[in-house]
Amino acid sequence: MNIDWIDAFLISGLFQVAMVIGLALLLHLQLGLARIANFGVVGFWGIGMYAFGVLYVKVDWPFGDPWQFLVCAAVATLVAGVAGLLVGWLISDLNTDGVLVGTLGFATAVQILATTEDDLTGGARGMGGLNFPFDIGRVKDNEFLWLVIMAAVVAAILLYVWRVHRSPYGRLLIAVGANEPLARSLGKSTFRAKLWLFAVGSAGMGLLGAMNGVMVHYLDVGNIGVGVTLAAMVGLVLGGTARVWGAVVGVILTVGLFDILIQSYLPLPREWYSQAIPVLREAAFGLTLMLVLLFRPLGLLGDMRRDKLMSKIHGR
Amino acid sequence: MEFVTQSLVIGLTEQAPLILAAIGFALLYKLTGLINVAYSETITLGAYFGMWLNTTYGLDFYTVLIPTGLLAGVLSVVTYLAIFRPAKRRNVGALEMIILSFGLSIFLRHGLQFVFGYPVRFYDVPPPDTIMVLGVGVTSFRLLAVASVAVLSLLLWVFIQRSRYGLQIRALANDEDLAQVSGIRPLAVTTLIWFIAGVAGGLAGAFYGVGSNVSALLGWRQFLLILMVALVGGSWGLGGVILVGVGTAVALAAMALQFDQAMYAQLVLIVAFVVVLKVRGTRLTETAKV
Repeated sequence: MNIDWIDAFLISGLFQVAMVIGLALLLHLQLGLARIANFGVVGFWGIGMYAFGVLYVKVDWPFGDPWQFLVCAAVATLVAGVAGLLVGWLISDLNTDGVLVGTLGFATAVQILATTEDDLTGGARGMGGLNFPFDIGRVKDNEFLWLVIMAAVVAAILLYVWRVHRSPYGRLLIAVGANEPLARSLGKSTFRAKLWLFAVGSAGMGLLGAMNGVMVHYLDVGNIGVGVTLAAMVGLVLGGTARVWGAVVGVILTVGLFDILIQSYLPLPREWYSQAIPVLREAAFGLTLMLVLLFRPLGLLGDMRRDKLMSKIHGR
Repeated sequence: MEFVTQSLVIGLTEQAPLILAAIGFALLYKLTGLINVAYSETITLGAYFGMWLNTTYGLDFYTVLIPTGLLAGVLSVVTYLAIFRPAKRRNVGALEMIILSFGLSIFLRHGLQFVFGYPVRFYDVPPPDTIMVLGVGVTSFRLLAVASVAVLSLLLWVFIQRSRYGLQIRALANDEDLAQVSGIRPLAVTTLIWFIAGVAGGLAGAFYGVGSNVSALLGWRQFLLILMVALVGGSWGLGGVILVGVGTAVALAAMALQFDQAMYAQLVLIVAFVVVLKVRGTRLTETAKV
């Protein structure tokens, strides 16, 4: 297939956008429905990426790709899911402040372990050796195919989130977010719902992390900073935490704007790209988060459809 | 015995800024009910203000402490008046307030790099004197940090518990409406709380900065520990924060002496604090709202 119409920067930018949309969609279930502020998105993403990297590079597998990739990615997803289960159990009966400590603490713990366990992870030096599970020709061709696979994974996540919205489980999550004691008093197991929410959400984030590791080929502890959580959160909040498409719209307008339009197409001085643009990107994301919460807290897409309908019916 | 005294001296002198910052953060948290993630940037800006005054005007470190504290206090008040007060008036929820403060933290952290530059900066100070305390060499800056924590803690305790304004602050934290009808001006009292918290954070930043270096991530790197100390210790008031802060400082030093990697100490503390919060569970007291 001829892919000369797309350049390497655009492939890389689109991959970032797709990945952050995936993270924001999973965060939407936690923050938008259950109103649990997961500030440790990067921790689950990072543990998936590093678990995959360690398994892929350090273990001498008796078989090659694509089975090697599939097994490593499956185990990495499982590891992130189990981590999510543990964190979900720890924070299940804590208020927002405790959730902040638990999730932020988990992300910090992952960063510390990635730095200190340098025999496994390469520590501050980083770890290379991650490759695509296929080889269809040029590097650009491989990257393009990987982008398509990432887009398919994110589409599957979108479908899952969309189905959750229309399921009894989704309604239970909304009840947890609105009034958890009331949901419990009606006999609903909010504890189990939260555990499942964190286990599945974290597993998904871990899978996205593993796929990112393959794309960048090199794992660096500097990449598992708060910027990943910020990107997912600002996109979701801008688009609308309560809406499925909020994550998609918001991430395109934030990460898409910076990682594709500004990074690739604006004729900016070359020296700006090393420090000024990344710093400006984060500052702009922080400012966006503030402005949206101050002036349009429901985001661009607004409230849930069901809430809009109820307001219409009751004339509120 | 030597290990105990070493842990005690190193912990207290190295982590005195942590205790100071935790006191400021807990004050804000207990009295306004807000988890202010941007408090980490009050600490960072304190470090930057001190470095800027020190390197631009040639002031020595001891002299820069007063204007640094005041500037950080003013910045803290500005963030309240420009961001958090309007947010409260717009009925932004408690969860959204935390995300809002996260956004402010990120904005300030990266925005200030355009003002102070990207590279790591240093205070221009002569090598500090080393004084032997229980057989452990301690720099004069670190001893000053310990003394500052002790003095400021005492002053804050007296101010909150004994002064008329302190009484107003506590009344406001307990019941804002009742306090208002009793003639207390919420704006003035809340502004005062933000100012005091800012001063404590700014001074902590200056002590952190002179002890190592000044970078945009300085406050954020300490934030989790500060948050945990304030949340766990805050249940028992200012004394609890100081006690948990001292315990954390000594534990950090003791584990750093034991482990090959000093970062393991932080890891153990994160696990310990989360377990404490888990065991305490829903018994966490609900605090007043901003």
